[in-house]
Amino acid sequence: MIRGYAGRVLDVDLAAQAFEFRPLDEETARLYLGGKGYGARLLYDLTPAGIDPLGPANPLIFATGPLNGSIAPQSNRFAVVCKSPLTGAIGNAACGGSFAYGLKRAGVDVLIVRNQSAAAIRLEIDGDRSQVAFIDASALWGKGTGATQEALGRKKHHAVIGPAGEHLVLFAGIVSNERIAARTGVGAVMGSKRLKAVTAGGSRRLEMDDEQAFKAYTKWAGAMFRRHPVLGERLKRVGTSGIVSTTNPRNILPTRNFKYGHHPDALNVSGEFMADHALTGVKSSCIHCPVTCGRDVEIEGVGRVKGPEYETVALLGTNLDLPDLKRVSEWNHLADDLGMDTISLGAVLGFAMELRERGLLDAGVRFGDPAGVADLIEDIAYRRGLGNDLADGVRRMSEKYGGRPFAMHVKGLELSAYDPRGSFAQGVEYATSNRGGCHVQGASMYMESTGPLTIDPQSLRLKADLPVVMQNLACAINSMVLCIFTTYGMMPGFIHALSPYSRTHRALTAIFEHSGPLLRLALGAKVAPILWFEKWLTYITGERFTAGHLQEIGARIFNLERMYNLREGLTAADDTLPDRMLHEPTFPGMTSGHPLGLLLPRYYKLRGWDRNGVPTPRTLKRLQVRI
Amino acid sequence: MSITVELTYEMSKALGTRRVEVEGAATVADVVRLTRARFGERAADFERHTRVAAVSVNGVLVTHGRGLRTAVADGDLVMFVKASAGG
Repeated sequence: MIRGYAGRVLDVDLAAQAFEFRPLDEETARLYLGGKGYGARLLYDLTPAGIDPLGPANPLIFATGPLNGSIAPQSNRFAVVCKSPLTGAIGNAACGGSFAYGLKRAGVDVLIVRNQSAAAIRLEIDGDRSQVAFIDASALWGKGTGATQEALGRKKHHAVIGPAGEHLVLFAGIVSNERIAARTGVGAVMGSKRLKAVTAGGSRRLEMDDEQAFKAYTKWAGAMFRRHPVLGERLKRVGTSGIVSTTNPRNILPTRNFKYGHHPDALNVSGEFMADHALTGVKSSCIHCPVTCGRDVEIEGVGRVKGPEYETVALLGTNLDLPDLKRVSEWNHLADDLGMDTISLGAVLGFAMELRERGLLDAGVRFGDPAGVADLIEDIAYRRGLGNDLADGVRRMSEKYGGRPFAMHVKGLELSAYDPRGSFAQGVEYATSNRGGCHVQGASMYMESTGPLTIDPQSLRLKADLPVVMQNLACAINSMVLCIFTTYGMMPGFIHALSPYSRTHRALTAIFEHSGPLLRLALGAKVAPILWFEKWLTYITGERFTAGHLQEIGARIFNLERMYNLREGLTAADDTLPDRMLHEPTFPGMTSGHPLGLLLPRYYKLRGWDRNGVPTPRTLKRLQVRI
Repeated sequence: MSITVELTYEMSKALGTRRVEVEGAATVADVVRLTRARFGERAADFERHTRVAAVSVNGVLVTHGRGLRTAVADGDLVMFVKASAGG
């Protein structure tokens, strides 16, 4: 077995209450690494087209990767893969917390949960004895994610759902510690199986090919992280919501259901405001992570809880015209405990508010008014009243009540908090993302709208090229499994200190903007491991990983996911953006919205797809994607 | 001619206001100069906060155009931008 892997897949059948440990497939590990890549391969192979996402045929796959279980900063995340009940396409979500560590210590690389239990159940995986206990969970059913983990013991490593997952809310997530595998409704799939929690543990050590080199390099990399202006300073000081100070003045902060990109009071939910007015501590919410982007805030009557992230302050704050940190923190805590994705939640609440404003539906909430929001969040989680409709997400709401032009989703997944009208590459990423409107399937916005050195976000240059390389890289990172924030370290620290008006800054920007072919050449090279995650993979597995290898693996995963979606009946017509993004200008001089139609043909060409967005046989053969 | 200037959080703390109005500016450079004047004796604070802050006009970053020579017009919203990263 390749080093870095425990070498075991645990296959659990909930209906039969049976389990089997079997060897990890080495060839699949070589081709897809682990995490969402390995999970996608399994999902494609284990299921026929057209299964009911909430039926017994949809497997729930928890997958770790070769970096998990190590002390590499930002590792120890797991991926969850299944068919998404929200989108009908491939579903996946990644999560920090400690469950990945628990699985790896149990000697399990991948956990497949099949079929459905007749009653509420939980699993305890004892890796040392190679045993799985099927335990009645009726006493836990109905409990929040916090109380559930409390009851199971905080020292163990769990993945749990809350009431939203139990009630099959289509954007329910799976929680580990205070982190959540939030997107695409993976929690609803777990709920459909009546699986309340999985606990994993053991004493298996991660075996590495060159542990000494790994440790020495990790020591250096840890110091580099601590010195880095983003990873070591800004995220530690103001958390992810510090980015409000960027997205708001760049006019890409969702405001009033994405009608606008700027809110005059946005700083009230910024990371800086939180640090001054609400912060009670910073922490590393993910095991072995030195970045400490996690925030703690105090909520009256509840105590010290996890503070909201950027996506949450945007979608539950400015997007609802309610930039009120106290309320956003309360709603964030409520959603976390109920086990819901706050991106989709904020988007569906914003959509309901606009429906009311246009006289199409009164769900009892309106822009700028906090009244009724907390009650509606609970109604969604328990599918009560109109909450039952909101629990199905924005796309289904728009099909039932109208408002498709301002239904903010791609492929059924609600859009995250970067308005693509001011971030064209990010718009291409949203439109082509296999899981729908999500920002962490590439994160081009950092290179064009939020980072210290950005290309012009509204020219067409590089806007089809950048998403391809960023999506490939993100696929590889989400399969190691590493936090996508690690890519922020790729921007050297000195650039953050440059004046944006300096000659050096201008020269670097010009080089970057004209780097299309060079970028592909540099990232496609298989010369030597250079970046930290390439070195970690090499030291751990004993196989050589370079930028070129990761681009190839990422492209393979991306194309396999694409083939899954095509098999499910999606077409090039699904590679689109909401009408509002395509047709409503938000910038001076803009006559329309995002120029997606001008960019997609080049994107398809770069991907090796035909005009209908289908990977050609040659592309699949080159990438070794077996169909 | 009135231009609204939206400050960064740190600049707001120093001045005690989130935004200021400046009159008589023709370019972004004028806006920056007039905003700096509001800091009076605390000009060093202004320099510290703007050293790595870019400027946008109505949401468009000026560094991709004419930079500090970018023209401004009555009613424009000029904002100081901090580079950042989040999730």
